[in-house]
Amino acid sequence: MRLAHLADLHLGFRQFDRQTPKGTNQREADIAEVFRRAVDDLLEQQPDLIVIAGDIFHSVRPTNAAILFFFRELHRLRTGLPASPIVAIAGEHDTPRSTETGTILRLYEALGVDLAIEEPRRIVYPKLDCGVLAVPHQALAQAERPALRPESGGPTLNVLVSHGVHGGLGEERGTMEYGGAQLSRELLAPEKWNYIALGHYHTAQSVATNAWYSGSLEYLPPNPWGQLQDEAAQRGTRGGRKGKLERTGKGYLLVDVKSARVSFRPITPVRRHLDLPPVQAAGLNAKELDAQIAERVSAAKIDDQIVRLLVWDVDRTVARDLDHAAIREYKARALNFHLDLRRPESQRGAGSVAGAGVRRQTLTETVRDFLGRRPLDAELNRESFVKLGVDYLESVAREESP
Amino acid sequence: MIDKATPSPTAIGRVVATELKPATPHQFHFWTATETTVGIGAIVKVQGAGSTEQGAARVVYGVVTDGFAYSDLATPLHDVVGAEGDPARAADAPTARQEIRYWTAAVLRQTPEEPLQPVPLGQVFLADDADVAQALRMDAFLYSATPTAIPIGLYTSAGREAPVYLDADFLIGPEAAHLNISGVSGLATKTSAVEFLLASIFAHFPPHKGRVAAVCFNVKGPDLCFLDQPGNLSDEDRRRYDRLVVPAQPFERVKLYAPLKADGVNLNTLRTHPDLVGDVEPLTWGLQEVVDYAEVLLNRDDIDAKADAFIDFLRDRVLGRTFDDGFGGTHRVQSFADLDRLFRSIFDGLEITAGGRSDTWRTHHIATMRKVRNRLLNISTRCKGLVTDDGPASDLPWTEFEDRTVYVIDIANVDPLGQDLVFARVVSKLREQLERRELGVDAVVVFVDELNKYAPGDGPDTYVKKMLLDISERGRYLGLVLFGAEQFRSQVHRRVVGNAGTQVFGRMDMDELATPGYQVLTPATKSKLATLPIGELMVRHPHFTQPIFVRFPKPPVLRGRDGVERFPPAADVPFDDAVVRQLVRLDRRIRPNQVKDLIADREQDDVRRALAATRRTRPDDPLAYFRKVLGSRVAAEVPPAAPREHRAVQPLNPISDEPY
Ligand SMILES: Nc1ncnc2c1ncn2[C@@H]1O[C@H](COP(=O)(O)OP(=O)(O)OP(=O)(O)O)[C@@H](O)[C@H]1O
Ligand SMILES: [Mg+2]
Repeated sequence: MRLAHLADLHLGFRQFDRQTPKGTNQREADIAEVFRRAVDDLLEQQPDLIVIAGDIFHSVRPTNAAILFFFRELHRLRTGLPASPIVAIAGEHDTPRSTETGTILRLYEALGVDLAIEEPRRIVYPKLDCGVLAVPHQALAQAERPALRPESGGPTLNVLVSHGVHGGLGEERGTMEYGGAQLSRELLAPEKWNYIALGHYHTAQSVATNAWYSGSLEYLPPNPWGQLQDEAAQRGTRGGRKGKLERTGKGYLLVDVKSARVSFRPITPVRRHLDLPPVQAAGLNAKELDAQIAERVSAAKIDDQIVRLLVWDVDRTVARDLDHAAIREYKARALNFHLDLRRPESQRGAGSVAGAGVRRQTLTETVRDFLGRRPLDAELNRESFVKLGVDYLESVAREESP
Repeated sequence: MIDKATPSPTAIGRVVATELKPATPHQFHFWTATETTVGIGAIVKVQGAGSTEQGAARVVYGVVTDGFAYSDLATPLHDVVGAEGDPARAADAPTARQEIRYWTAAVLRQTPEEPLQPVPLGQVFLADDADVAQALRMDAFLYSATPTAIPIGLYTSAGREAPVYLDADFLIGPEAAHLNISGVSGLATKTSAVEFLLASIFAHFPPHKGRVAAVCFNVKGPDLCFLDQPGNLSDEDRRRYDRLVVPAQPFERVKLYAPLKADGVNLNTLRTHPDLVGDVEPLTWGLQEVVDYAEVLLNRDDIDAKADAFIDFLRDRVLGRTFDDGFGGTHRVQSFADLDRLFRSIFDGLEITAGGRSDTWRTHHIATMRKVRNRLLNISTRCKGLVTDDGPASDLPWTEFEDRTVYVIDIANVDPLGQDLVFARVVSKLREQLERRELGVDAVVVFVDELNKYAPGDGPDTYVKKMLLDISERGRYLGLVLFGAEQFRSQVHRRVVGNAGTQVFGRMDMDELATPGYQVLTPATKSKLATLPIGELMVRHPHFTQPIFVRFPKPPVLRGRDGVERFPPAADVPFDDAVVRQLVRLDRRIRPNQVKDLIADREQDDVRRALAATRRTRPDDPLAYFRKVLGSRVAAEVPPAAPREHRAVQPLNPISDEPY
């Protein structure tokens, strides 16, 4: 029996101020496109069971486009693979904040998708001789958790689908999103399961021989650059042997459930995340740094890509005198060009945790920072949302002070 | 503590020296009346010529090591003739012959010490308390501003009785350390002596030396299972306790640890009587703890650098990490089952992928890997209950050892390999924590009975033996002190015994006394040792220049054998009852049926895991916590498969255009 394991689609996620010809956010369209490609591949691979381990949508109330799109793609799967059940759970992002907030996920029940949105469900597929325990984020976040164990005397094959943070995964590079339910080996008991499909961590990663995060299908927050490094680190430890699990980029997992053999199905990205080799700017004047930046840019194909160039130790005066026209041009060519200028240690101010005597963030800054990052319903305008929050805070502060 | 010298003592003998048997600086001879209380082991004082008032008299203390009796008879034949050949008439001889009691004594101490001279031909007195203190050089640590005296027993000889003290600086460190006790089974009172000495240490360990605890491995039946229960003491024993100023009470703070049985809930100990089992903490370890000490499992019959290298590899590269076996499998080994899976995939990989042509994998030979695999998986089956996949259920409190507390680890019923493992890990951990000064106490006495099993004189250098050697050589600087006991000293590794600053002997076996280790003892001392009564010991200690005989009271605790009679071990209880029992221990209000319902169709190891977590956490509401860890049940549902699979999915209606 073969199972396809997907997670963290984050449909409806928007980023960067770029529109498609149809007028939607370009990144939102990218994210939809990779899922479409995944569906294409699924139709070809014909797994016997498909599980989506949470965070289908980036927010509880996604855009109409995202809702519709997901419906169409599921429809495609249901018609193409009518005998393969689809199990999906809600993740941290698409769990309704309170029971009254309805959830759009229910819509997909009409297509025969087996959903676990707040309560855990144990779904048995007699034809596959397989039981799936689907445990959504909410079921793990509350005090009384379900026992994550197969049913005794149940079917031969047992699969657990869940969403949360395992151990200290992703701490190193800040690639684990805050707010996931805590998972541990004791809780999951991998030895009891044939396979455990997890969502929440965006890099494909095993936490036990038969327990995996499939990762997202696109480079999404938190810290996509860190996710690239995660992948590089995994390649580093695996040596160049033949037959290894080939894993570059994003994709989903195809699992032979009985043997827990996992293979990675890479999905061709719509565009790439390019982390240009960083520049060390100490001792360079503006002209020299311009030249170095130009060199880095010309060595890569940045057009329509998402690009970051880290420059270390840039003096304030040097930063001011850079060739801003050239930089504007890079920004125009790339979908997003992030020239990440870092001040020398001595000049670093707010926001940086390193170094002694560094000024701590004010409460307003912290709030601004948090609201700027927190998942938002698609129809909300982030800028005005952040502004509103900060205004509230400041009005409270005014009332409090004499 | 010590009675002051009685005034004007009477001399009991006189030093004599002849050309043939002169007095030397280290030995002298004296005679006494035929009727005398002097005997082997008696401590005597020689007062040289010159009166005490002048204060210049040389005083010599000695211990009697040999004794002779003879008369002025020229040859035995003279006596036969005198009695006319009839032994019955020998006593009626008209003239009583002059008869002599003649003793040899070894010098314990001379004052003044310099210049060192032969023993003066002075009068001999029996030693009183103060003399004993002088003779054994106990005055320095007994009367100092910061005394370090630990009573070990009473010197009783010649109708006198005086406490004998060991110097804590030489028993627990740092000047010297360790104690070894040997003697025949049952009569030598080895275990008892150590129990008493621990009580004495806890009562007298000097405050300026800090906090002290003891870790005792129970390796024989119920030996050390009842250290917290009072034993039967006679009035004479109590009097001795008073005299030594040691409370005649069982240990106040005892923590007992025992592994579980293979069922994972019943404790593998003889202390399972319902009234007492509550205090026993289960001791279970996981893969990590085992692999950290995997060398223990190997070196028993062979030392193998290759196996060591492979174990290092497992530790550093495999355990708890994402690991690619090179044959297409990715592993994350955290349990024995995972480890087995990894090995299987390596062996299969070598067979299939390499077509059986290669017998090495990442420089490790397949034979080495098989060996390591077998040993590791073997321990998990042979020591089920000690070694589990669940990791530590409870471990010793490595950072908060408590002052004057005995930690008893009951491994009497554990497989020898498991014993070695417990032993190696506990002692290594103690050492590590003491080195970092993070144990919670400043010194730990580790009591190892049957030392000959763990540090035998012959056989291969096992990990445990090397560890014991290491402690005996370096432990004194760390406060890690080994108290070892064995029947035959000659069977224990020489350096382990040799490094013990204090040596104690109970009743000894004659054959053992004939071995080279005992050459320094006189025949008289040997024969005394071979007939030593129960409760009497011979002690060597750095301050004592000669071995000294002492008596100690019966230990203040319930003897193991009596313990199992008074508290008969309970039969193993069924799984659910054992779980109930352990939970009720944490909260008396828990009703058995609540627990039984809760665990009715759960898998045992899930229940065990929840139990272990509850025990570790000690929550306010144990049942609620237990229930929470166990997790609620999720009922199975079968989706309406048949109708749905055949149900045609509705075609999309025209509003659902491609949205992007
Ligand atoms: N001071 C004492 N006075 C009288 N009896 C004692 C004294 N100490 C111990 N005993 C008794 O002597 C017996 C043997 O003591 P113990 O078990 O300590 O000997 P052991 O040398 O450890 O024997 P084994 O080698 O079998 O372990 C016990 O029954 C004990 O009660
Ligand atoms: Mg004994």
